Amino acid sequence: MDSMVRNPDVKQRDAAQAVVVAVSSDAIFDPEVEQVHGATEPLRKGDAFSFMKAIQVVNERLLTMNSDETLLFDVILLSNDSEEKHSRIIASAKHYGLDIGRFCFCNKEDSIESLQSNNVKLFLSTDTNDVCKALQKGVPAALLYRPTDPHHQTEDQLKVVFSGDVIGSSEEMLHGLREQGFTETQLQGFKTAKGSVKEFAVLMGEMRRRFGLEGSPLCTGLMTVWSSRNVCASALKTLRGWGLLVDEAFCLAGAPRSPILNLVQPHILCLDGLYHMEGFTGMS
Amino acid sequence: MPASAAITLTSSLKRPLGSDALAISSARTPDPKPQNAITIAVSSRVLFNMDKEQQIYEQKGMEDYLKYQIEHEMEPFAPGPAFPFVKALEAVNTRLRELYPESEELFDVVLMTNSHAHAGLRLINTINHHQLFIERFCMTGGNSPIGYLKAYHTNLYLSADPMKVREALEEGIAAATMFNPPEKRTEVSETQLRVAFDGDAVLFSDESERIFKAHGLDKFFEHEKTHENTLLDHGPLKGFLESLGKLQKKFYAKDQRLDCPIRTYLVTARSAASSGTRALKTLRSWGLETDEALFLAGAPKGPMLEKIRPHIFFDDQMFHVEGATQLGTVAAHVPYGVAQKLPQQKPAKENTKDFSAATK
Repeated sequence: MDSMVRNPDVKQRDAAQAVVVAVSSDAIFDPEVEQVHGATEPLRKGDAFSFMKAIQVVNERLLTMNSDETLLFDVILLSNDSEEKHSRIIASAKHYGLDIGRFCFCNKEDSIESLQSNNVKLFLSTDTNDVCKALQKGVPAALLYRPTDPHHQTEDQLKVVFSGDVIGSSEEMLHGLREQGFTETQLQGFKTAKGSVKEFAVLMGEMRRRFGLEGSPLCTGLMTVWSSRNVCASALKTLRGWGLLVDEAFCLAGAPRSPILNLVQPHILCLDGLYHMEGFTGMS
Repeated sequence: MPASAAITLTSSLKRPLGSDALAISSARTPDPKPQNAITIAVSSRVLFNMDKEQQIYEQKGMEDYLKYQIEHEMEPFAPGPAFPFVKALEAVNTRLRELYPESEELFDVVLMTNSHAHAGLRLINTINHHQLFIERFCMTGGNSPIGYLKAYHTNLYLSADPMKVREALEEGIAAATMFNPPEKRTEVSETQLRVAFDGDAVLFSDESERIFKAHGLDKFFEHEKTHENTLLDHGPLKGFLESLGKLQKKFYAKDQRLDCPIRTYLVTARSAASSGTRALKTLRSWGLETDEALFLAGAPKGPMLEKIRPHIFFDDQMFHVEGATQLGTVAAHVPYGVAQKLPQQKPAKENTKDFSAATK
């Protein structure tokens, strides 16, 4: 069971129309090693801080253009913390003026259920395992990219990058992975991930189109890690078909991805199942 | 794209998330990894002819430009000035793969474009149409490519934009600006890559040019004679010549000196009788050589280049670049050293990055 607390300091969004995003509290606030009893000062900023600020910029720009805009980001902070930390979390959010609509406090085991029952369009975490577990359970999820230098990550523009190796591969190609030893579960996992990415991509596409080509507070990107240029091209076309116009695209074809990611510095990285594999020569 | 595309995994495959490990041997040649390869980054505007589109961008702006690109997505671009050069790089790669099938020491061409990605499909379609072997690209959506050049360990950057070229040089990356040659184009080999270099301020530092500019020709000769045995400092393209030399040696090692698909030329205004000595001694001490060294003693370079037929000629002086271009040679400008005339009002900030801490 979860306890949902509305944030009185933030105007509530229309959850049916908004892009509801759940973010793990460990990402927003630095999880402290030692919990000091009765400590009241604000929690330290976590890795997702510039992400939160960037989301705010997008929302503000949208509302400036149209005060009745409903396609806004609506953030739920998801916390598995002990009860005594709850009020501190709420107070810290207020202290930093974070645009968090609701706080969801629940046990770790109940997290997936909470996500499913709250129409969450995307669950974000800095923990890859949490992201993959959520994806496997059919909850759309993406990685909050941990920048090497947190001060370097931009707060003026929200950067969302999609991993394209699965998106750009045809059914047949993915099918062919079976011959290479991938299990049915894995293949199903790819398909599920592709499905949930689609929904989020459609929303991002709609939001991106509210802004012009230049000076947009939302920047969309595509990265293929293993595949050839034609798979990358196919991914671009697929995303375009879903209504998402991509600003930046990188086809790595096996080149190391950290140097490029360190430059792109996305906030959100939508993974697919192939992203983390090593030694994969990719599809063409 | 074949329907039953091969998906191959190398035997060094690590455990993918949440699954059992797989060990399947590779059936496909690995693509060059940045560190071992010689990475050449080309901007779309020099690889292909995008004059018309560039005009639309300059006159009507980004929106119309991208709209045009999308509307004409299936129409491949015509080749640009860097096209023959890139084709020749591929010819060398083919020969290298025959001799050293496991090696990653190959040319690796990366396409760089400022374009927003959703209009970049036309570029990929064009690559397919011309059957170019370019697997990596960066569409930066308006951002500067310089950071990406470094991330890819770029050995040479070719662009139509002189500002970006300067920026790259300032970051220690060999770079040159390319221009569309006029109608007349010298035919070049499809099987042998030929690269011609000017000496001062390209392979070497601009030290001697400074003397010439400040004190005239006589002083220049005097200086060169006096310092005949003193090495010149490195220039921005020394590293690239070195990379070419490294590949050449791989052919020599397999008894293919006479049939080597790479040939290099030094084309300098220095004279063989006097100032040329210092240049040759410097190259020799660096363990480098060019297949031919042409000392023109001040004569125009155009006619000589017409005979040589290089795929690309690097020079720091626009005068020589233009002269070569007019006679049909693809020439690239290296905006380095004292010979540069910058357009700003304030005194020219000379780009004299010290290349002696040599880039790879």
